[in-house]
Amino acid sequence: MFLALKEMQRAKLRFGLLAGAVGLLVFLILFQQALLTGLINQFIGALKNQSADVLVYNDQARKNLEGSIILPDQLAAVAEVEGVAVAAPLGESTFTVTAKGEETDAVLFGYELGGPGEPTTLIEGRLPEGPGEGVASEKDRADGFGIGDVVQVQPDGVSITVVGLARDINYSVAPTLFVDFATFEDAKRARNPDATEILPSVVAVQVEPGADAEVVAARITAEVDGVEGLTRQQAVDGSPGVSSVRSSFGIILALFYLVVPLVTGLFFLIVTFQKASALTLLRAIGARSSKLVGALLVQVVLVMLLGSVLAFGLYAGAVQGVKNLGVSVEVMPAVVTSLVVLVLALLTSLVAIRRVLKLDPLSATTGAGVHV
Amino acid sequence: MSLALKELRRRPSRFVVATVVLSFLATLLLFLGGLLDGLYLGSTGAIRAQQADVIVFSESARDSFLRSRITGEQRATVEAAEGVDEVGGLGFVLLGAEVPGESEPADVAIAGYEVAPKGVPEEPPAPGEGIADDRLRDQGVSEGDTILVGPAKSPVTIVGFVNDTSYLQQGTVWVDLDTWRSVQNANRPDAAVADDVVQVLVVRGTGDLATSIDTATAGATSTLTVDETVLALPGVKQQKATFNQIIYSTLVVVLAVVGLFFSLLTLERLGLYGVLKAIGASTGRLFRGVVLQAVIVAIVSFAVGALLALAAAAALPAGVPLQLTPARFVSTFIGLLVAAVLGSAVSLRKVLKVDPASAIGTAS
Repeated sequence: MFLALKEMQRAKLRFGLLAGAVGLLVFLILFQQALLTGLINQFIGALKNQSADVLVYNDQARKNLEGSIILPDQLAAVAEVEGVAVAAPLGESTFTVTAKGEETDAVLFGYELGGPGEPTTLIEGRLPEGPGEGVASEKDRADGFGIGDVVQVQPDGVSITVVGLARDINYSVAPTLFVDFATFEDAKRARNPDATEILPSVVAVQVEPGADAEVVAARITAEVDGVEGLTRQQAVDGSPGVSSVRSSFGIILALFYLVVPLVTGLFFLIVTFQKASALTLLRAIGARSSKLVGALLVQVVLVMLLGSVLAFGLYAGAVQGVKNLGVSVEVMPAVVTSLVVLVLALLTSLVAIRRVLKLDPLSATTGAGVHV
Repeated sequence: MSLALKELRRRPSRFVVATVVLSFLATLLLFLGGLLDGLYLGSTGAIRAQQADVIVFSESARDSFLRSRITGEQRATVEAAEGVDEVGGLGFVLLGAEVPGESEPADVAIAGYEVAPKGVPEEPPAPGEGIADDRLRDQGVSEGDTILVGPAKSPVTIVGFVNDTSYLQQGTVWVDLDTWRSVQNANRPDAAVADDVVQVLVVRGTGDLATSIDTATAGATSTLTVDETVLALPGVKQQKATFNQIIYSTLVVVLAVVGLFFSLLTLERLGLYGVLKAIGASTGRLFRGVVLQAVIVAIVSFAVGALLALAAAAALPAGVPLQLTPARFVSTFIGLLVAAVLGSAVSLRKVLKVDPASAIGTAS
């Protein structure tokens, strides 16, 4: 044991470089995992955390909320489908608003008060009870979307008073407000006086008690012309970009997870080769191979520990830089990642361990002592 | 020099694992860069193709095309502003479209124009006809097809193709302004525009156009250069910053890995270096050997990594916006080389400190 620590102390540069490389790699893994969750939550949090069981899109919209509109007779037809308890309009659009005296982008979701489509993650205040009231995302509290703040839709449109805050209800990475559908209509008209008719983006459906949302969604798709019914989860997964973001980040993360154990495994293998003669000598004077293997494992664990601590520091710092994504420092995922990486590193150090076990104490007596 | 090369040739196994690790890192770098390029190019094509000096938005639009509205009156004011030579209207609408013979609808951006972007005919196509972006070929669109756009199924006949003009990851179909208006008004009644209204103006001219235009309209417009418009597109700036941060961190990892392996190799050879120095080899010569080996390992790793990245790109579904551009290969290659040279420099101190006299004493 002492030998393991002494060696690390004497060869600071070597072990430092290794811990540094491991630290950076683990940091990149942590950072990208946080970015992935943050991005996806910021893109579609509003869909995930609203109360409708089924969302009905225009079938031309390719599951894109921004590209979907529902005609009045489609809305009426959806309400008639078996298993649908309530079918209400849900509108979504991005506006320029003034909050805290400054112009900014904001997404408005207009839903029928009390009906499906209301935010489900309220943590402070209350839901809107009439026109001109809205629930904002907790993340944007400090940017003029706190309780009591008044947000005005530009140019010269409706004013919305924030009466409640909910968690993870952003859409398209912009500040988001859930308001009464009539308020949404007013906002749309203010922006575009030429509008002939304000249509909802999708139908928010609450299914009858006991009915299966997936079955009802499929039935709506089959029975109503020109629409596509999706359960909440299907709508989230099918949102443009979500699956491609997931698969690209998946590949990147897999590669990073591969590189860490390769780097540590190789390092310890080389170090073991270099120490082969010294280790043989130790064996010859009675050190058991389990002791030598133990020392090696201690070094692996220490390096990984150092690297993980370094990674966590970098991660906490970098997260500050992407605050606008609502990414927060979470300890649990970081610990899990460090453990996974540690296990992988221990696995690859098996190669070095095999090398240690193969050392023959007898060869110490023959002079050179090393067979490479 | 030749000693370093000989070692590489005679004992390649020594360098294999380092090469494997660096190859993975090279793949990662290319992959990250390719994603960034794909996102960037696919989002901004239609804007980068604009052959204009500035783009005029309405003041309250916060540089968003979809929210901007320029009236005929404002247009007249802009046309009269100092330095303005040519003005054209431009408008986008993002919709799904039915393609004949395809079961899945295609994502299209219908764009009405007057001043032609790069690659698009000077004179806009006849009403109801459009020039499609190459990206739409992947979705089954071919010349002569009539696609049915949006819920209202507005027909647009494709009469030609143009390269690299997509808008927010959707294939653009370039049409004349009236066709754009009729498609927009039929499919997005909530965003309908009047006859003389456009989303933005593309302006050619001389002098300080942005200032002279915004002054002429008394602040009702917000004028940006084409480059500023590209960066104002949703997400473009943040994507660039985040991805570049990840790419640079990965390069630092490359540096650390190269530094680590070569300092280990150097350590192994210290005795040998003592002998070489004793028989007259200079520190410079020995160190050049180390750098040369690092460079060769980097080159081989880059080649392997590039092949892996190309294979990954081919295996991925079309939905992943991965684009491997020659420029990205060049910059990744340079990044790897620089990191390898800097990394190998960690061993310099060790090589410097080798004492030729040690060769006379003990063997190690």
